[in-house]
Amino acid sequence: MIENTKNPRKGPGFGLPSSETATSDRAVLVESECSGCIGLTTHNRTYQDRSSVGMGKDFILRLLIIVVMVTTLAATAIASTPNEPRRPNIVIILGDDLGYADMGAFGSEIKTPNLDLLARDGVRFANFYTHATCSPTRSILLSGVDTHLNGLGNMDEFSAPNQWGVDGYEGNLNKRVVTMPQLLKDAGYHTYMVGKWHLGKAPDQIPAARGFERDFSLLDGAGSYWDMTNLAAVSPQSVFTEDGRYLTRLPDDYYATKTYTDKLIKFIDANRGDGKPFFAYVSHQAPHDPFHLPQEWRTRHIGEYDQGWDAVRQARLKRMIELGIMPAGTQLAERMWFIPDPIVLAPATRAVLGKKMELYAGMVENLDFHVGRLIEHLKEIGEYENTIFIVFGDNGAEGTDLFKMIAGTPGTRDYLFAAANWSQTHPNAWGDPGSYVSYGPMWAQVSMTPFSQYKGWMAEGGIHNALIVSGPAVKRPKGSINHGLMHVADLMPTLLEIAGASYPKTYEGRELPALMGKSWGKVLSGEAESPRTEQDYLAWEIFGNRAVRQGDWKIRWEYKPLGKGDWELFNLALDPAERKDIASEHPDKVKALLAIWDSYVRANNVVLPSRSPFETLEDQLPKRVPDDPGYPPLIYKRQFVPPKEMMADPKP
Amino acid sequence: MKPAAWLRSVIPVMLAVGVLSPPPIMAQVPGRSYWKTLSGANAVPLIVQSISGNTNPFDPSYTVNPGANINATMGLAGYLRAFPLFGRATTAALLVPMGRISSDVILAGATASEAARGFGDPTLELCTNIIGPPPQMNLVDVLRYEPGFSLDLLADLAVPIGEYNSAQALNLGQNRWYGRLGAPIVWQIGEWVPGQRTTLEFLPGVWLFGPNTNYQGKKLETDPMFQVDAHLTRDFTERLWGALDGAWFQGGKSSVDGVEGKALKTVALGFTLGYQINENLSLTFGYKSTIKDKDEGALQMDGFMVSLVAGWHSLIEGVRRLKE
Repeated sequence: MIENTKNPRKGPGFGLPSSETATSDRAVLVESECSGCIGLTTHNRTYQDRSSVGMGKDFILRLLIIVVMVTTLAATAIASTPNEPRRPNIVIILGDDLGYADMGAFGSEIKTPNLDLLARDGVRFANFYTHATCSPTRSILLSGVDTHLNGLGNMDEFSAPNQWGVDGYEGNLNKRVVTMPQLLKDAGYHTYMVGKWHLGKAPDQIPAARGFERDFSLLDGAGSYWDMTNLAAVSPQSVFTEDGRYLTRLPDDYYATKTYTDKLIKFIDANRGDGKPFFAYVSHQAPHDPFHLPQEWRTRHIGEYDQGWDAVRQARLKRMIELGIMPAGTQLAERMWFIPDPIVLAPATRAVLGKKMELYAGMVENLDFHVGRLIEHLKEIGEYENTIFIVFGDNGAEGTDLFKMIAGTPGTRDYLFAAANWSQTHPNAWGDPGSYVSYGPMWAQVSMTPFSQYKGWMAEGGIHNALIVSGPAVKRPKGSINHGLMHVADLMPTLLEIAGASYPKTYEGRELPALMGKSWGKVLSGEAESPRTEQDYLAWEIFGNRAVRQGDWKIRWEYKPLGKGDWELFNLALDPAERKDIASEHPDKVKALLAIWDSYVRANNVVLPSRSPFETLEDQLPKRVPDDPGYPPLIYKRQFVPPKEMMADPKP
Repeated sequence: MKPAAWLRSVIPVMLAVGVLSPPPIMAQVPGRSYWKTLSGANAVPLIVQSISGNTNPFDPSYTVNPGANINATMGLAGYLRAFPLFGRATTAALLVPMGRISSDVILAGATASEAARGFGDPTLELCTNIIGPPPQMNLVDVLRYEPGFSLDLLADLAVPIGEYNSAQALNLGQNRWYGRLGAPIVWQIGEWVPGQRTTLEFLPGVWLFGPNTNYQGKKLETDPMFQVDAHLTRDFTERLWGALDGAWFQGGKSSVDGVEGKALKTVALGFTLGYQINENLSLTFGYKSTIKDKDEGALQMDGFMVSLVAGWHSLIEGVRRLKE
């Protein structure tokens, strides 16, 4: 499946653009000329010596011309390694909790011109899967190996008692896997990381220890965008590293999204011209809550979301269908039963709740702006055309109130910590240090239009994400949309292939687990529509929620009340919003998929957790009822106005 | 997640964004008097001032009585309502001064005393915004209100029906029409977040006085007097704020049957502390004194001020009842 993996020097297996070929030709030319240039330099020195004893002006002029030529040729020679086609740079832009429907290119009203530019220059993948939460997705992305083997069988924060001490459940990216940056570095790439890591904090777990030459990283899963304030009393400070050193303070003028971009640009520039391509993992914290953002980004959508989540979801779905992201006839997932119809809310309530979405939109737009800065810089230094961009969100949008989960109980230490550090609740202060705004399940559903549920859950709203790939590896028509079944685990084989590297069986004496993904080589080159056959399957498990997808079919098991505490079956081709559980109508299909699940469990040492953050959710949420639009009619009844001619004053 | 719960969560927000700002009082009003509030809001101020000096504080022309020692305990009660007028935020107020005033004047070794008590001249005030945010017609507007740079037009008119005794110089009523035209300015500095709000405020104005044709049997006339009040206000917490206050007076030369006095040219400095007790009550305390006032004929005045303002809005009260 992976081509050219035996010879890293041979170059990408699925072709380079014409500009790349030209670059290769130029490299050859430089080599032959450069051989001569050494002689010229020698000759030049000799000539200078002569000049010093009184040669003519024409010799000085010729000398200058030669010097210029030598300098130019030498610089070109430095920029290209002899005998090696120039391999593309790789930039992975990860939006934290960025929703499927949050980019303009995927139907959002949020303005993302720079991400949309990448979509226009590349391909949008509408059927791409991540994991349901962040560190599991990141672990798969960087290792290509299933979470239950790579150390993120559960999130570090929610690891269950029966998983403690079990291999694959360390809560950090374990040493049994090799990372993508390690392999790319071995293959001659510079490897840079900026942003959120969330895969371990110990010295042997940080980005510098896992293959990144340069990094500026937030090791935690969340925290302030303005400073080092974290969320919980026991862990009050976020931990950052820069180039493998733990930071005692943050740079002046720190704002996460801006600083990450600044740092990456410096990393790129520092090694510019040495002829090596770079791999950059741009793991933005944005738009994960708290919605911290500069003042000027908070007021770009005042009042736009007062219309409520239903209207915005409908508008997004309409655009998605027009764009071809979703097929005509796609229905929205039902509004979750505990979310009110915004029509029944008071305007002030809608304004307050809408303002949260205004901030979220600002977060995404600010993220896009800084992506634009990176793109612009790569264009300025002539690297844009030779850079592969891969853009996606790490999981579904966040619908759970993380802050309440941590600090919501009065009298607890975390509550007091929040009182001291996170109590700036006035809407005008939202976005400032000390404020903690998230947007709740209603807007998370908007971000995940048209899907059901959100981050942490196995409905499409938890695991289905938007993906953009652009750059020299992409041969499909620019701006096209693909519906092949893709998975974040595919990135390891795909990028190794692009880099002309291979996935080894052992690394530093350790036997490596097999990759779970499939290269996108043929998909990107236009030779195939999907890297997967109808028999290939995808499987997920986190917090005890679990799912299997094979072809158009999907079974999922979720805690009540979002799930049924039992397996449900959906046909995603017919019902992408998972509106109707058809398990009872297709028992054989359920049985077949359960057999796959069992096989997946055995192959990957899946240990279902004995405890789950969702284990008591059924007691916290209102009793689940169907969402029947217009029910009860009582709350929608308007004032009855009798015919004018039948109206009268009371008789005396 | 219930809608009702969400609505309740909004209430503190709307109550916290300045539904009840202190209403204007006569002459030198404290800072933050011209902040705008939810249309339909009502307020009743009760202001008590203890003032000493050589002028009658009930008379905004501040005519200087050289050698006099005047002490006044002045109360001010009134009613204010916010409403839109031609699409602009407007407040109308009725303010009634009351109190006691006494003076001792030493002339040629003898002390002459006068005293008065009762009600002063009620004042009608209309203040409408010219530049600035639109009126806050609903809670959404309240939520999004920030003054930015706002400029109002202000008109005061005192009705001469207060206690007046033409036999003495010292009175609570002034026995003449008078009023003021002004242009209150509120300039927001920084974010509009309770606990962080900072404003620079000015009230330039001109006082205009009609004649008093029975001033101890004579005719009292007063030239227009220009006044600029300035305040630098700053939140200390979400409920506590303070201000540095300044006032400048010029003009207002009076004449009695053609015998002219001196025009004022006076500066006063002071401070104010304010505290929002709850959504309905705010309390302020202030002190102000004229400076460089040792010259004969200079205005001398200092005073303490305590104000309690009760405010309400039918919507807020209804929400509170439901909340309880």
